[in-house]
Amino acid sequence: MNDIGAVLQARDLYKEHGQGQSLVRAVDGVDLDVPAGQMLAVMGPSGCGKSTLLHLMGGLERPTDGEVWVAGRRIDTLNERALARLRRRAVGFVFQAFHLVEELSAAENVELPVLLAGGSPRAARRRAAFLLERFGLADRARHLPWQLSGGQRQRVAIARAMANEPLVLVADEPTGNLDTAATLDVLRLFEDLRTAGQTLVIVTHDERVAATADRLISMRDGMFVDDTQLAGRTTGRLDGLIGLED
Amino acid sequence: MGRVLLIVRLVLADVRRHPTQAVILLVSVAAATAMLGLGASLHGATEALYRKTRTATAGPDAVALSPGTDRATIRALTSLAHMPGVVAYSGPYREYYTTLTAHGSTGAAVVQAADATPGPIDRPLVTSGRWVRPGGVVVERGFATALGAGVGDRVTVAGRSLPIVGIAVTAAHNVYPWAPGIGPGGGPSDGGGLVWMAERDTRALKTSDLSVTSFVNLKLRDPDTALTLGHRDPAVASAVGDTWVNIRAWQDMAAQDSIMLKASQPILVIGSWLLAFLATAGVATLAAGRAAKQTRRVGLLKAVGATPGIVAAVLLAEYLTLALLADSLGLVAARLIQPVIINPSASLVTTATGPTGGTIVVTTLVAVAVAALTSLGPTVRALRTETVTALADSAHQPQHRAHLTRLSALLPTPLLLGLRLIARRPGRAVLHACNTAATLATVTGLLMIYAQPSKGYPGSAMANDLRNAQEHHVILAVTAALIALAAINTVTTTWTTAQEARPTMAIARTLGATPGQITAGLSVAQLLPTLPGALAGVPMGIILCLPFSAGNVTWPPAWSLLAAALAALPATAALTAVPARVAARRSVARTLSAEAA
Repeated sequence: MNDIGAVLQARDLYKEHGQGQSLVRAVDGVDLDVPAGQMLAVMGPSGCGKSTLLHLMGGLERPTDGEVWVAGRRIDTLNERALARLRRRAVGFVFQAFHLVEELSAAENVELPVLLAGGSPRAARRRAAFLLERFGLADRARHLPWQLSGGQRQRVAIARAMANEPLVLVADEPTGNLDTAATLDVLRLFEDLRTAGQTLVIVTHDERVAATADRLISMRDGMFVDDTQLAGRTTGRLDGLIGLED
Repeated sequence: MGRVLLIVRLVLADVRRHPTQAVILLVSVAAATAMLGLGASLHGATEALYRKTRTATAGPDAVALSPGTDRATIRALTSLAHMPGVVAYSGPYREYYTTLTAHGSTGAAVVQAADATPGPIDRPLVTSGRWVRPGGVVVERGFATALGAGVGDRVTVAGRSLPIVGIAVTAAHNVYPWAPGIGPGGGPSDGGGLVWMAERDTRALKTSDLSVTSFVNLKLRDPDTALTLGHRDPAVASAVGDTWVNIRAWQDMAAQDSIMLKASQPILVIGSWLLAFLATAGVATLAAGRAAKQTRRVGLLKAVGATPGIVAAVLLAEYLTLALLADSLGLVAARLIQPVIINPSASLVTTATGPTGGTIVVTTLVAVAVAALTSLGPTVRALRTETVTALADSAHQPQHRAHLTRLSALLPTPLLLGLRLIARRPGRAVLHACNTAATLATVTGLLMIYAQPSKGYPGSAMANDLRNAQEHHVILAVTAALIALAAINTVTTTWTTAQEARPTMAIARTLGATPGQITAGLSVAQLLPTLPGALAGVPMGIILCLPFSAGNVTWPPAWSLLAAALAALPATAALTAVPARVAARRSVARTLSAEAA
């Protein structure tokens, strides 16, 4: 069933909300393979089911029917405890609303996944310092989330998602709350991660963000309506994208 | 008018949206005001009840008792009945010291030879059955209650089996178990109950070897002078001569009746203050838990043009209205419970005497204070918040506590989460510790009171037993009320913490925390403050009890105090388990989506 080369797989995936006349099929019979190192963008109008698909692939929600595989392991049959353990190492989440812990500093936010995974405080500190340095936030390590700009907050969120070096980083509208400059910063970060071989799945409304991906899937009414390999990836020319110039 | 209608509509809508919170507020404040109402109304309550009984039974102003039935004794008592200032009398009567057995229980008793038709003074009020007739006895109600006897039951008096034909109360004797007044031969009384028997039936007692006291009931021109009647009074001295006569004024009897309540009143008053504190702590937690939503609500109201006055009225009116309603409920409960508390022997007429105007003012002030203390802070904060900020729901930022965060990083995940939850709202942890301390202080008081030996009335074992039983029942009821309220508070605090930390816990779950770790973390956040609270509560309880001890304190076993303190931990763990588990099972995706919306 599973392809060893694919980090994420979905087979005949369904997710329904409600019942009877109010039944909504958020995801409707989707098949998906995401190879390692691929940067996949999922686009579609609001309510088309792309965020739900992301939650299903990351083990935050359970499908009504179908299978989800992460790194060759079927996860839709796992209990909550096993899913939590899987998320620690295999999946990193980035959200549109950042979802940083408000009472923790930037560094403490990044340390959190390492501590939850059983890492020592020293290891957590080192990892956080490394990531914040890499993402250009070393001087903001002690700042609380509300003391940071939107772009900085999202970069902290990405650093946190990368804290345990997950197999796949899934991002739900990561630039939805950002201005143009901050969007550019985040895209540069994703580009760096992709170059380093990180698998990324990004749900977005923004065609400019989608244009930076290796592959673009379009969704409508819970189904895939288009799946395109983007030959002309934007590596090295992000600044030149329309509307994203500094 | 339109504004008032708007305020009423908004308050009602909010209560409908949060019915559980409204119920908790009602229960907490009502429990506190009920106990406060009870405690405050105890002072003089039994005396008031005695006065009512005295009026209902034409009670005497004084009773003169003398051991024996010889001619000198009767002459002395008769002379007293004819001295100046006495306007009426009844007697002399005899009372015999014997025992009464009913349902296998035997108690000391005095049997009074009663007229078939009571005289103008001391007309006992028959509360069930009928007055004495030959071949049947009437048992004083307190005595009958203690024995579990009723009309129709057969009792054995001085070896003779007779049916109970009636139950009655009187103001001519002290309440059960102090009915004898003086002991056999004028010595100390060992306590006992009162039985009325037809004069004809008491003839058999005359032939037996029972001790007898003769007495006469006196009605004075000025009842207030009853206390001055004594051997120093020339008229009394001239009437009784060398005969030993004991004169009991009605005021003495009224005071004697309230002795039973002397230990109960401080228990109730202190208990009520502790309950008021717990009510404040519980309601404050609720109010704080709703602060963020209230701020947003204020933003909405301001945005549509509500003035600060209307906004404040909307926020305060809900708590004030509920607190005043709870106050009324508490006072009604106090009035219903009061007859049981103030008439523990059941020897006086059963009517509620309180609460008085002063008591109502005190309980209302407490209820309003609870409402104000818990809602004023969030209201002022909400009013000060700018409309846009309030609408953005970002008015209150949790504080960063670097030391606690660093310390928690060294701990296992549940402790890490628990400690960080405490760091978010340290004031709530302190409140929870105080909640536990107040409860443990009461439990310690309970253990202290139960550890004390029977004391107070040498030779009056029945009185001691009854007083101890009364004291034990009151402290048990207070402790039960406090534990119940503390339990509600613990559940409320856990739920409020879980609600507030919902986004943080959802984030932790996306980062790999298991539902079990979240559940444990929420429990740990309550357990950590429980331990110091419990340990502080024990000495607090001892300190509260010491001023009321009569000097020689018998300490409860140290292990029982330690066990009580440590029992708070599993109790808290059990109480927090369900709300924490429910909160931890919530869908992460849904929580985060709601937060982002």
